[in-house]
Amino acid sequence: MSDPEIVFDGVSKFYGEVLGVNRVSLRIPPGISSLVGPNGSGKTTLMNLMTGLIHPDRGTITIRGLSHRDPERLMRITGYATQFDSAPRGATGFEFVSTALRLEGYSRREAETLAWNALEVVDLTEAAKRKIAAYSKGMRQRVRLAQAIAHEPDVLVLDEPLNGLDPLVRAQTIAVFERFAARGRHVVLSSHVLHEVDVISDRVILIANGHVIADGDIRGMRDEIDEHPRQYLVRCPDPSRLASRLFEHDHITQVQVHEDRRGLLVMTRSQNDFARALGQLAVDGHSVESVMPVDENVDALYKYLIGDGA
Amino acid sequence: MSGATRLRQTWTITVLQLRRVFLARRSLWVYLLALFPAAAFLIHGIDVVVTRERLSDQITAPALLADVREGDSAEELLARAGEPLSDRTTPARTFDNGRERPERRYIRYYDGQNRRDFRFESGELTRQTSRPLADFDEDRVVYAGIFQFFYLRLAIFFGCLGIFMNLFRGEMLDKTLHFWFLVPARREVLLLGKYLAGLIASIAIFSLGAALCYLVMLWPHEAVARAAFWPDPGLSHLLWYSAAAALACLGYGSVFLAAGLLLRNPIIPAVVILFWEGLNPVLPALLQKLSVLYYVQALTPVPTPTDPGAPLLVQLFIAPAAPPTVARAVFGLLALTAVVLWVAALSVRRLEINYSTD
Repeated sequence: MSDPEIVFDGVSKFYGEVLGVNRVSLRIPPGISSLVGPNGSGKTTLMNLMTGLIHPDRGTITIRGLSHRDPERLMRITGYATQFDSAPRGATGFEFVSTALRLEGYSRREAETLAWNALEVVDLTEAAKRKIAAYSKGMRQRVRLAQAIAHEPDVLVLDEPLNGLDPLVRAQTIAVFERFAARGRHVVLSSHVLHEVDVISDRVILIANGHVIADGDIRGMRDEIDEHPRQYLVRCPDPSRLASRLFEHDHITQVQVHEDRRGLLVMTRSQNDFARALGQLAVDGHSVESVMPVDENVDALYKYLIGDGA
Repeated sequence: MSGATRLRQTWTITVLQLRRVFLARRSLWVYLLALFPAAAFLIHGIDVVVTRERLSDQITAPALLADVREGDSAEELLARAGEPLSDRTTPARTFDNGRERPERRYIRYYDGQNRRDFRFESGELTRQTSRPLADFDEDRVVYAGIFQFFYLRLAIFFGCLGIFMNLFRGEMLDKTLHFWFLVPARREVLLLGKYLAGLIASIAIFSLGAALCYLVMLWPHEAVARAAFWPDPGLSHLLWYSAAAALACLGYGSVFLAAGLLLRNPIIPAVVILFWEGLNPVLPALLQKLSVLYYVQALTPVPTPTDPGAPLLVQLFIAPAAPPTVARAVFGLLALTAVVLWVAALSVRRLEINYSTD
């Protein structure tokens, strides 16, 4: 495996007249990468392309050096949990996971051992012998995840994996992703739960209308957006007095007392000028307890780059 | 990946798919199609056995009925042969066109094997007929007709359509096809595994159905008649019918598997192929070879029953003018299947999962 990345090079995909994705060029390194975008933006298309379920009309895709057109080798290193249930009718959770493993070429005993391990990881051992048709939405999510991770793939692709999960299971599931990523593997997921994407992702890929709008780590992406002033939450004991001093600076565009009256929401056009101003205020005897960026997250990036209507 | 591993994968796919094919609710009508002729023969057989049992104490010795001649009176017959099975009279009648029919008397006897019917007009015997309770030769011809016209042209055709088109198209509709596409297996391996599953299921259903129907057809006949027919040539006929059914499944299976990959609506290929198969006997010799029916018909041991008075074109539609030899038929069908499967393999390689447009 010469290239450890997932590489999209000028990839376009059309469904007849309808655009799927257009001229996507991406390099996704190992770690947790999140595809973020509104419905119909092309997230699932990108995932289907990288797992060979669909083929690009233009461009090339390689996954850790393997072609997406070689399922025999590609799916040995890839696990994909789609949005759709793919279990055979009447199958139990255990049968679903172990059947997939047997198709991988494992013996019955190996498949059963690996299936139990995967079901344990997603905390589904008690329900393993029940039919999937009787599972809740969250349990179905987990059994799909179990099937995707059972063969310990190097590339884990997950379409909306956090949908329908309760907070405890969501935390456990995120821990699974982090363990995978910590071992130098790829975890590529799509999600609408933006604050969770923010917390877990090493890298975010923002997509809209089939185009990649931005990709990279969140802070780096925020730095590149000049047209929106930066927002900070400044914690201080006397917000009104501090607010009047901050308004003396040209780079400050808006100052608002926080609703708990123990801080200020400040918008500035210059990160450096704001830092200098705060330093001067501290020297002048104003007490500042903490300063936190408010819009260095996916939510804000999403709003700035894609808009509220997304 | 080694060839042995691919073969193991193929077999695993086949085994997993078999359960879906055999136990699918949408396969129920396929079983009904396959078992319908056997059920019809069973009803006929039960009727024969029950009637034979009912008439067993009313048998009239054949010798008593042997010398009955036209012109004999009903009373003479009754005096010679004794009490009949039935004796009924219809009154004289004048038809609208002025033709008159005299009073008729119908007397029926049973000689242990045949129903013997005697018709008297104006007191004199005018016609006598003999009809076996179970006619072995007739039943074999009826079976040949059912196999040719119902089994090959309808049951196996539509049964294979239902089984093989569902292998991919059905899973596309259920949104489960990606389960197979996300397996580390070549698409051709998946195609072969699914085809084998469909083939095993269809052969089990239709070859066994044909064999069962054949055995049910034999069952009510007299032991003497059966012994003269079984095992030679009866067993050979049974095996050829089963083989013809299996080869029809092989051919139609490949055609409908490919159709399921290339087309979304099963009605279109069904109509086109049905039309092609029906039209095939009157096509030029080269085009005839592109038909499953052309080869399979050549394997049936009893010729297609046809009415000698039927127009030539009708006779031509029923049986090809120059059927192939058995060896050519088997080889031709295998070659046709291989070509169709190759086309299907090309198609499955390009197949994409795109549920939203299905």
